[in-house]
Amino acid sequence: MQYKILKKNKYQDFVKGLIEDYNFIGPTKKDKSVHDFVPLNSIEELDTNYLKTTIPPAKKILFPPNEKLIEYEIGDEIKVKPVIESSETVLFGINAWDINGMNFLDKFFSKDFVDENYWDKRDKLTVIGMDTEPTENNFALSMDTEYATDGFDLYLHDLGDRYFVRVNTPKGNELVEKYVDFDDASENDFKDFDKYMDDYRAQFSNKVNIKSFYDNFEMIYNDEEFWKKIAKNCFSCGSCNLVCPTCFCFNVKDDLKLDLKTGEKTREWDSCMIPEYGLVAGGHNFRPNKENRLKQRYRCKLKTYFDKFGQYACVGCGRCIEACLAKINIAEDINSVKKEVNV
Amino acid sequence: MTIEAKEKEKDSIYKPFIATIKGIKELSSTEKQFDIQIDDKETREAFNFKPGQFVELTVFGLGEAPFSIPSSPNNKDYFELCIRNVGNVSGALHKMKEGDKVGIRGPFGKGHFPYEEMKDNNVVIVAGGLGMAPVRSLIKYVLENRDDYKRVIIIYGSINPDYLLYKDELEEWQKRDDVEVRLTVDEPCEGWQGEVGVCTNLIPGIDCPVDESYVVVCGPPVMYKFVIKELEKKCFKPEKVFLSLERRMECGVGKCNHCHIGDKMTCVDGPVFSLWEIRNLKEAI
Repeated sequence: MQYKILKKNKYQDFVKGLIEDYNFIGPTKKDKSVHDFVPLNSIEELDTNYLKTTIPPAKKILFPPNEKLIEYEIGDEIKVKPVIESSETVLFGINAWDINGMNFLDKFFSKDFVDENYWDKRDKLTVIGMDTEPTENNFALSMDTEYATDGFDLYLHDLGDRYFVRVNTPKGNELVEKYVDFDDASENDFKDFDKYMDDYRAQFSNKVNIKSFYDNFEMIYNDEEFWKKIAKNCFSCGSCNLVCPTCFCFNVKDDLKLDLKTGEKTREWDSCMIPEYGLVAGGHNFRPNKENRLKQRYRCKLKTYFDKFGQYACVGCGRCIEACLAKINIAEDINSVKKEVNV
Repeated sequence: MTIEAKEKEKDSIYKPFIATIKGIKELSSTEKQFDIQIDDKETREAFNFKPGQFVELTVFGLGEAPFSIPSSPNNKDYFELCIRNVGNVSGALHKMKEGDKVGIRGPFGKGHFPYEEMKDNNVVIVAGGLGMAPVRSLIKYVLENRDDYKRVIIIYGSINPDYLLYKDELEEWQKRDDVEVRLTVDEPCEGWQGEVGVCTNLIPGIDCPVDESYVVVCGPPVMYKFVIKELEKKCFKPEKVFLSLERRMECGVGKCNHCHIGDKMTCVDGPVFSLWEIRNLKEAI
């Protein structure tokens, strides 16, 4: 890691240079309360001072809701061609918990089998992080994701009159040297940055007791009453999955085109909360009730990948809490598990 | 790295290779056997599977579904699939004919039947219905290497005699004096020589020492709970009891997540798990 300073009066030129040279994706204001990450052509459209984005930026780019995997042609022979499409892209203004969500996907799409459809895009993505204000539902601080140590090329922390810049990769360093002059960070800059991080962390008001969840979850796993209460209002709609920066479930579709000669396989996001999720041919459903589906979602988010990667598949962004029509609140539920065990 | 090697590496894990249906045989009123030969010679030679593993089969234009491989791993030229006409892909397959093309990915599953560890032990197979398909690969292998194993006991249950799969082979195995075959059906027909009832009933009669015995179980979801109970009564060692599980799969490579059981994925960690593992997997059974 290298540490640099970018003066505020040079920021605009730096960003303009990036927009000029790259497929540039950044946050822009959609309506009063929501921003969205979209390709931008001018700095005027960019608004890094955002509170909420509905669809996580990195997931949207690297693991799009619909993605072609295979094209085929049926004739005397069948010709099959993998479809792996990507272009050099700069993702600008993503915050720490969403970077950590992407870091999870990086690990997931490398485990056992390497998913080239993900990695081809990931390899060509330049990530420039910036801190954003947490919402009242955000519990990233408890999940240790309010700060990113990896997964980005540059990270810009706004110290008021200047940016404290962490340079994490040679690719990031190239950008530092390309457009405007960055200064080396001084002892004073480090001191101000430390103070800045203390103040930043103080903004996270939602806290969860995640440390004790690991074993307590197993203890109350079979407590049907408890889980019925938690999942009582669930509509099995899958909104929580769609907005989650780490959810990766998908279905694969195979469609013949109207010429009946060419076709394609595509994957599209699926949701572990919908009733058909565990349905197999023959009609047996391995997870027919919503309590079990919600329980399995919590296991997947808060246990399974802690074992596999040492990282939770939940970054505490709070999006699912805000998206849930039934007001199911993962943060409250994590704390309820602790309370239930201590009764 | 050469350019070629790099391109190969970029090959998609979702890309099937093309294979031809070389033969079709009716096994019962609902199941057919398909002999599948991979077209590309190099790929065919590299296709080495272990008993208990599965493939993802594509019917182009319809979709993909997972099927375990019932044939012997020693058969290198082609492999067999035993497919019940029950879903979209299997329904379409049942309408296909010899010479038709399908897509194949695999073989998949790190969890297979531990045929190497089983050597010098008794092998007890408990199969129900279509559960005969995955375990047949192991039976074939064991019988082809018969001297490496002690007693071989096959317990196989089905609804009625018509639904028993691989009838000619069952007959052949029954004739051998080095295989003990016990068949049972729920609804016997006239002249039925075997047992009547569920295959669970035959477990108390297994008379081989548990320390030197491996048990392999495969059948419909409802069967496992009862079979496990009986096996536990006999004190079979949970690390020597193996069960092949079914779940919905969309990818076979540990990405789509549909086959999650507790902290494991059926496609990459299974589909064969030891009873010891299954005891630690909530909702596996």
